[in-house]
Amino acid sequence: MITVPIEHVILMAAILFSLGLTGVLARRNVLFILLSIEVMLNAAGIAFVAAGARWAQADGQIMFLFILTMAAAEVAVGLAIILQYYRHTGTLDVDAMGGGRR
Amino acid sequence: MNTVFYISAAVAILSTAMVISRLNAIHALLYMIVSLLAVAMIFFVMGAPFIAALEVIVYAGAIMVLFVFAMMMLNLGQEAVERERNWLSPASWAGPVTLVAVLFAEFIWIVSRTGGSLPGGGGLGPKQVGIALLGQYLVGVELASMLLLAGLVGAYHIGRRMPRTGEENEASRAGISIKQ
Amino acid sequence: MVRGDFFILLPLIITGGAAVAVMLLISFRRSHLATATVTLVALGAAVISVICVAAAAPRQASALLILDSYALFYMGLIFAAGCAVTMIAYDYFERQTDHREEFYLLLLLATLGSAVLVSSNHFASLFLGLEILSVSLYALIAFHRERLPSVEAGVRYLILAAASSAFLLFGMALIYLERGDMTFFRSTQIASGVPAWSPLLLAGTALLIVGIGFKLALVPFHMWTPDIYEGAPPPATAFIASVSKGAAFVLLLRYVTLFGLHSGSVQSAAIAAIAVASMFFGNLLALREEKVRRVLAYSSIAHMGYLLVAILAAGPLAAVAAGYYLVAYFTSIIGSFGIISVREGREGGGDAVSDYRGYAWRHPWLGGAFTAMLLSLAGIPITAGFVGKFYLLAAGLESSLRLLVVVLVASSAIGLFYYLRIIITLYGPPEAERQGAAITPAVSLAGGVALTALTFLLIWFGAYPAPLLRLIQAMVGG
Repeated sequence: MITVPIEHVILMAAILFSLGLTGVLARRNVLFILLSIEVMLNAAGIAFVAAGARWAQADGQIMFLFILTMAAAEVAVGLAIILQYYRHTGTLDVDAMGGGRR
Repeated sequence: MNTVFYISAAVAILSTAMVISRLNAIHALLYMIVSLLAVAMIFFVMGAPFIAALEVIVYAGAIMVLFVFAMMMLNLGQEAVERERNWLSPASWAGPVTLVAVLFAEFIWIVSRTGGSLPGGGGLGPKQVGIALLGQYLVGVELASMLLLAGLVGAYHIGRRMPRTGEENEASRAGISIKQ
Repeated sequence: MVRGDFFILLPLIITGGAAVAVMLLISFRRSHLATATVTLVALGAAVISVICVAAAAPRQASALLILDSYALFYMGLIFAAGCAVTMIAYDYFERQTDHREEFYLLLLLATLGSAVLVSSNHFASLFLGLEILSVSLYALIAFHRERLPSVEAGVRYLILAAASSAFLLFGMALIYLERGDMTFFRSTQIASGVPAWSPLLLAGTALLIVGIGFKLALVPFHMWTPDIYEGAPPPATAFIASVSKGAAFVLLLRYVTLFGLHSGSVQSAAIAAIAVASMFFGNLLALREEKVRRVLAYSSIAHMGYLLVAILAAGPLAAVAAGYYLVAYFTSIIGSFGIISVREGREGGGDAVSDYRGYAWRHPWLGGAFTAMLLSLAGIPITAGFVGKFYLLAAGLESSLRLLVVVLVASSAIGLFYYLRIIITLYGPPEAERQGAAITPAVSLAGGVALTALTFLLIWFGAYPAPLLRLIQAMVGG
């Protein structure tokens, strides 16, 4: 397949993870925060698949499957909570919550 | 093949940067799908075709569609874009960007001291994954089903629409429960 | 999977099966009493099954789960705590009409996730257990979807838990990348020709600790804990404060014990710093709070700090101390939130400390129980909390962790102030206009039984600790 050094793949996963983390910290819109968390989870999945490929094991891919399952369950509940939040307040701003962000 | 990896990686990173910086939620979502497709490409060239397919089908296909539904229900318009613009002053970026840049610099250092490369040759197809999944990971599959049950029940309970939303808005601010 | 595996997994199978049974029950007939009864019976059966399968332990069930006496002891504790929370929830939701049956279904799933967590031996089961717990908790916290504070708490917990899961996953991926194995044992052991601590492994472990740190709400990952404790329905808060944190702690203890934490290493220094910060900030910030639930939230942060001393002390005595402390902490914190829940469900009213003025005169029995719980949290003699803290100190001194022991004692002394403040308010002169509220019965049968049992256990474990201590020594000390 490819002869890319493993650290380049991990580096890409780390870039995506960092971008996701930036989004979580910088955005105020809770929908974007959830999307940024998805980016982070996906980056962790890439790291798992790369690690599995390094050791020629299926375990990394299986962990990706579990991450996929978790992302689906989490987004379903998360979006439901966000919809309720919007119905209550008419905004998606996290900083508008009582007591602010921190 | 190596070129494919680097191009896909560049696309994934650029589109993810667009995801976290867009003002319009639908635009961000489109970039997110681009990013997921690029990642699927990377999985494919890394020798994980099964995962590449799932990334497209489940992540880009199902989970992102959930987001689209949510955005349609929220009915965000042009004023939402304006509000986002006000929320996102350049100053609000400075902190997180610096923080993450530091973390990232550390990571480059770590990776630069690690050896090893991907083994050449075949990859792991759906067959090997399936054997491991329903073999030693069988308990994990059962637990994943419980996880999905929790997601299903939770989303059903929280997501149900409440009648008489007008009064409840006022009541809920005061923290009073309204019985249906 | 062979027959023996199914037998040893019986506690998990009962809980998972009960979740499905409750789901079917709800879809056929909505009955609060029936749902709560089935949940209670199932959790009770799970406790009994833990005792039954103990003879077959230890056994590795597939690659993912290890059912040793350590896991079984904490599983039993978690299921028993689940029973107590179920009874408290029944009392709380009795007065509510809106779809309340789902609470028990989600509670069963969350309990299942915690049980998986304490028996996990592999990154995959760690992750799945944690996520079953987290996803159920999102819904449990935001359960009052018609109340804004509850939904806000849900949003906060969603962001926090999901981001911490991402950290945890990335950390696990890095460790797997370095070690090529995801079982705890082999990923922590040093293979021949591989350096003991590579930078990648260090980074992975750091990310893992960040992820677990968020779960345990340790300082500096504690930011939203008080808001979540305040907004969530009180039975759910009782569950988060006890089972959810306890399970994550038990997992951390197992993992760190395998690693063999060396005193003086970077990791133990980092954990010690987190422990000191959690003990001090938890207790100091609690002093400023005016609401009982927020006080208890900060108090729970401090308690997790105390427990980290056991992790750092590392040894047979430390494992026993952690076990005893967790039992005492579970009993007192579930009891405390149980009384808050009974009060809120029946009387309503604010959650400020001053709203509790005279509560002990109106409900002498509940007030007395609350006093016992708070004294146990503070670590006063004749309560379980004192014995637990005593063993933590002994374990710390045995491993000559002098600084940590001094901080533990000093911060506990700070803690006394806010616990005593609540107790004094409980026995303060009652307000005139609140007199009429005493006509309502103080508590239902289920809540009363649960709270009586908790108070009884609290004093029994405090006054006569030997039987429990022998059990813990046999289960986790070996």
